[in-house]
Amino acid sequence: MKMLMQKISVLLAVTALWTGAAVAEDKPIVLGFPLGLSGANSITAPAVIQATELAVSEINGAGGVLGRKLVIELADSASSAAGAQKAYDSLVYQKKVDVIISSEPSAARNAGLPIITRGKIPYIYTSFYEGGSCNKYQHINGWVPQQVVSLMVDYFMKDQSAKTFFLVGNDYAFGRGMLGYTNKYITEKGGKVLGEEYNPIDANDWTAIISKIRDANPDVIITSTAAGAPNVTFTKQFRAAGLTAKYGSYALDEGTAKTLGPDAEGIYLGGSYYTSIKSEKNAQFIKALNDKFGAEAKTPNELSVPQYDAIYSYALAVKKAGTTDTDAVVKALSEVTFDGPRGAVQMSKQRHAPLTMYLAQVNAQGDTTIIKSHPNVDPGEQCPNL
Amino acid sequence: MVPVLLDIITTAAILYIVSSGLLLVFGVMKLINFAHGGLLTIGGYAAVIATALGLNPWIGIPLAAVFGGIVGFGMERVVVRSLYNRPLDAILATWGLSIIIGQAITLVFDRGVHFAEPPIRGVISILGEPYSTYRLVLTALALLLGLGLTAALRGTSLGLSTRAVIMNEDLARGLGINSGLVRSITFTLGSGLAAVAGALITPLSSVDPNMGVAWLISAFMLVLVSGSSLYSLAFASVVLGGAQVIVSNYFGSVLGGMTIAALAAVILRIRPQGFSYE
Amino acid sequence: MSDANVKELGSSSIQRLQVRPLTKVVFAASIVLIGVGAAPFFMDAYSVNVLVRSMIYAAMALSVDILWGYLGVLTFGQSAFFAAGAYATALVFTYGGFSPEYAFAAVLIGMAVAVALAGLVAFLAFWHGASALYASVITLVLPIVVTQLLFSGGTYTGSSSGLTGFDTIPLSTEAWFWAVGVWLVVLTTGAWMYTRSDAGRLLIAIRENEQRCKYLGLNTSKIKALVFLICAAIGAIAGWIYANYTMVVAPEIAGFTFGTELLIWVALGGRGTLFGPVIGTIIIDYASAHLQGDFPFVWKLVIGIVFVSVIVALPRGILPLVSNAANWLRGRTRKAQPEQYSQLQLCKAPRIERNIVVAGPALVVSGVEKRFGSLEVLSGIDFEATYGEIVSLVGPNGAGKTTLMTCIADGSKRSGGTISIGGQDIAHRPPEECVRLGVGRKFQMANVFDTLTVGECLQIARARLDPLSKWKKSGVCQLPPSALHVVRATGLHSDLDVPAQLLSHGKKQALELAMVLALEPKVILLDEPTAGLTKTERTLIGTILTELATTEQLCILLVEHDLDFVRDISSRVIVLHQGRIVLNGSVDEVVNSELVKTVYAGSGH
Repeated sequence: MKMLMQKISVLLAVTALWTGAAVAEDKPIVLGFPLGLSGANSITAPAVIQATELAVSEINGAGGVLGRKLVIELADSASSAAGAQKAYDSLVYQKKVDVIISSEPSAARNAGLPIITRGKIPYIYTSFYEGGSCNKYQHINGWVPQQVVSLMVDYFMKDQSAKTFFLVGNDYAFGRGMLGYTNKYITEKGGKVLGEEYNPIDANDWTAIISKIRDANPDVIITSTAAGAPNVTFTKQFRAAGLTAKYGSYALDEGTAKTLGPDAEGIYLGGSYYTSIKSEKNAQFIKALNDKFGAEAKTPNELSVPQYDAIYSYALAVKKAGTTDTDAVVKALSEVTFDGPRGAVQMSKQRHAPLTMYLAQVNAQGDTTIIKSHPNVDPGEQCPNL
Repeated sequence: MVPVLLDIITTAAILYIVSSGLLLVFGVMKLINFAHGGLLTIGGYAAVIATALGLNPWIGIPLAAVFGGIVGFGMERVVVRSLYNRPLDAILATWGLSIIIGQAITLVFDRGVHFAEPPIRGVISILGEPYSTYRLVLTALALLLGLGLTAALRGTSLGLSTRAVIMNEDLARGLGINSGLVRSITFTLGSGLAAVAGALITPLSSVDPNMGVAWLISAFMLVLVSGSSLYSLAFASVVLGGAQVIVSNYFGSVLGGMTIAALAAVILRIRPQGFSYE
Repeated sequence: MSDANVKELGSSSIQRLQVRPLTKVVFAASIVLIGVGAAPFFMDAYSVNVLVRSMIYAAMALSVDILWGYLGVLTFGQSAFFAAGAYATALVFTYGGFSPEYAFAAVLIGMAVAVALAGLVAFLAFWHGASALYASVITLVLPIVVTQLLFSGGTYTGSSSGLTGFDTIPLSTEAWFWAVGVWLVVLTTGAWMYTRSDAGRLLIAIRENEQRCKYLGLNTSKIKALVFLICAAIGAIAGWIYANYTMVVAPEIAGFTFGTELLIWVALGGRGTLFGPVIGTIIIDYASAHLQGDFPFVWKLVIGIVFVSVIVALPRGILPLVSNAANWLRGRTRKAQPEQYSQLQLCKAPRIERNIVVAGPALVVSGVEKRFGSLEVLSGIDFEATYGEIVSLVGPNGAGKTTLMTCIADGSKRSGGTISIGGQDIAHRPPEECVRLGVGRKFQMANVFDTLTVGECLQIARARLDPLSKWKKSGVCQLPPSALHVVRATGLHSDLDVPAQLLSHGKKQALELAMVLALEPKVILLDEPTAGLTKTERTLIGTILTELATTEQLCILLVEHDLDFVRDISSRVIVLHQGRIVLNGSVDEVVNSELVKTVYAGSGH
């Protein structure tokens, strides 16, 4: 039934195009969101959906873009490459979306990009990732290693006088990318990496790796474990082992930290968004979220806020370009700036965004306390050819 | 050396706890319950509910037993009962039940990770090495569980009936033992044990709708090499769990992840009855 | 088992019978192919896209159905072979770049790896005496090990992220649709012809009763391994297509969950029906692509519930239900027609030069012992039997008669002593090789293939000597005169199209006897051939046995409780008591022996 309605509406839209441009103006702009409703990213997905709905309803409430309303199309990518293909296929070819905005794992993004290229539509990637993903239709507003690693490592080495590090991650693109870069950076700065260990994403037993950490006895461990279960199992088992090393994580989100209870206390986090950011925009954002969803409101996180930013960036780009035409929008996306909960974000540096980066620590209440912030941190040379 | 030894012992204990419910069902019914993973998950969520209600974390364990028992009883009644003569189909049907449990949990809670308060935190010093208190408590619980089950099988009339069914079901039925009832009780008990194990591992594991699946294959393999004996299960847990810890330590955790499955397959090829001495 | 020595059977009437089903198959396949050709013009790009993947999965389900539905091997590991093909492709293209030669090399490498893995699994899983459960366990371990191996490849195999971004065969979605569609139709047609052929019936025979197959001289382990390897190769090709089409490989395609999902599709479609799994997979995967986005959890929940219900209530799946309903409707409108080409011609097999050494004993048993732990079931069994002799083994229950039979028919069973057949030591040969030496065994409970027809049972019994056609029903079964005689004398020749399970008890016994005789044995072992038969049937069997002994010079060893029957037909009687021979003499000697009376009286008979 729904399919039928869609077909009819597409048919009507096509007829509308023929009968007159004035009617075509009212055709909604369809935003496609492949999202890990199941699998690893399903942990953060509810917050991402809320941020998406909030942004779209705010924009529509203000009259839409070019007089057209925005419409949300969600598709489950199952947080995997195979699932992402289904989701991107469905959005590009079945739902005929005007843009795809997604915050998926790297494997899912890599699986989706060929479909974006074939479908020729603008694409905004909103997750922090290991860097170096380049495609002429793609913009990225999440952070890359160059923006977060120095912040965290410098803090440990200078402020905490740490000398020895142990790196633990899940064996996937983000895990290896982050820790590889971290290892290099620590060594450059004169620190010592005692070990770099990876566990497969579906593994639930960290006994052996924790045993190695215990033997190495580092000052600091830095983790790049996957969202959801791996973050939780590692932290629980690490805490249960009673090790006293300082613990920094690139991948733990505030919502998950809350479900860890006291085990999360004291973990250092690096990223571009925390609820405790003191800014007017962030306060507005959190208030709007709570007003809209009330008790159901999820803790916003490092994936949901960039998603919110990206929707606004897209709306600004369409307004600037005056059309949803792909080439014009892609060009405009590098030029527009959106001032949101994370501060001003412009994807101007080789399709990546210079960001204000924060170092935070989980406190006894399960919330975050911001320790340091660096404005306008450069993402480095990610796509020199774009 | 001491920590590795402790890792081996505690890993074996965890495996024993996780597998004993499956072993009970396999021993009595000669049936492999692939819903075991789903039942573990139910136990994990029982601990979550206990935490949410603000109860003492230890209450989560009997709560898990009740939830697991009820679900197990229902599964035996509705599905498993008609599959006693089709063991391979029973594997598939119980796997289907596991999918149903996982999806039902997802619908009730969400797919996210949930928080369960651990009963005990902290470390104690063993020969000068700090070691997780909870893992040591689990070892003690595993011993208690083994002794308790053995005593129940030996000391109670239900245990006697159960052992009779394990040895020779036709004969037992001929002697007037209601083997249907024994099976129903065993399946309920096995499911309850699985859920208790699920609650017990929450301090070490993430509580999400798939938490049990990761344990299923290890438990399954351990049970196959153990036959129907609680003693051989203890032995198998130590040997295979120990092998897993050692391989993970010296050859990487990836190889460690397949140690139990691969080793069990080889053991069964050489000795089809595995570690049981029948 | 090679095709080279399939006998040409060329009577014109048989030829005419064969043409029609073959034409039908080609006709049906052509219609489906036309459908495949036309489909992309009537569907939106998304559906075409999804269906390509569904059809690849359908090919996987087909291979699982052959293994599980026909051969009875419940496999969780077909995904590992799929991954072998897919990863071979991804690795070759990632590190070598795309070229047609590399694409060809990739499919060969993928198949080679899959076949090697399958060989290892077969070696572990299908050895003599391995249980069905153990075989399934091994297929369960396989995807776990393969997944971990992919993880351990680290950045080389992309570990948990898999590999993406490699160039592959540049075809449009429609071209892929046609290519995969044609491949699937050809594969399904091939599989359909194979499973409906005489050799295909053998798969069912193995599923139904592997033991009987072994005692018919068929190396079932080898057959299972062979089919398993072929299905592994099909899986690897499917994986190759998948990687080429989707340009993505990830470790989950190797996993146990995907392996189990294949089983779910096959079970829902209807195991052992070929079309069911193929159509079922396409429908479920296509539907889930459309519905999963809208109701991700409810959809999986529904699949789970339907799956459990099907396993419990409809073990044969949903397709048979649909086709039964269709047949029922058709039956109401028009009278059901009998099957067109089920007529089977029985004919006399050309006499094989068997180098029968009629001189010397047919069977020599010396010093045979059998112990179960400390329990001694047989000890110091010594006797001989010659061609043309009917020797009866008598003794009370538990005397060890059936155990002795087993020791003669299966070289691996006895604990000590030697046995030779026609002068050849059976050593530790498994039953299928003992058959080769000339032993034929009939079991106490009629042991036939219940769902196969009488004709098919006989054909399978002949499979060792007359290789079965792999692509059609030959419509012919050659039997030696002795077997033919039994079939005619007991009236089985008019029941050739009747499933064996519908036969009367007496006819089942006769069928099994005919099957054993079809092996052209030198020594036949009959365990209570007259148990449960009517007086007339008993007399008939007695006459047949005596005739066989004299005309065919068979050595017949008989376990029997009916002493009258024994007296009527035996040339000699051996009395067993508590695992020892207490008497070995003529019928009169035994019948009049006080010892025998005491033995029987003592055992409470």
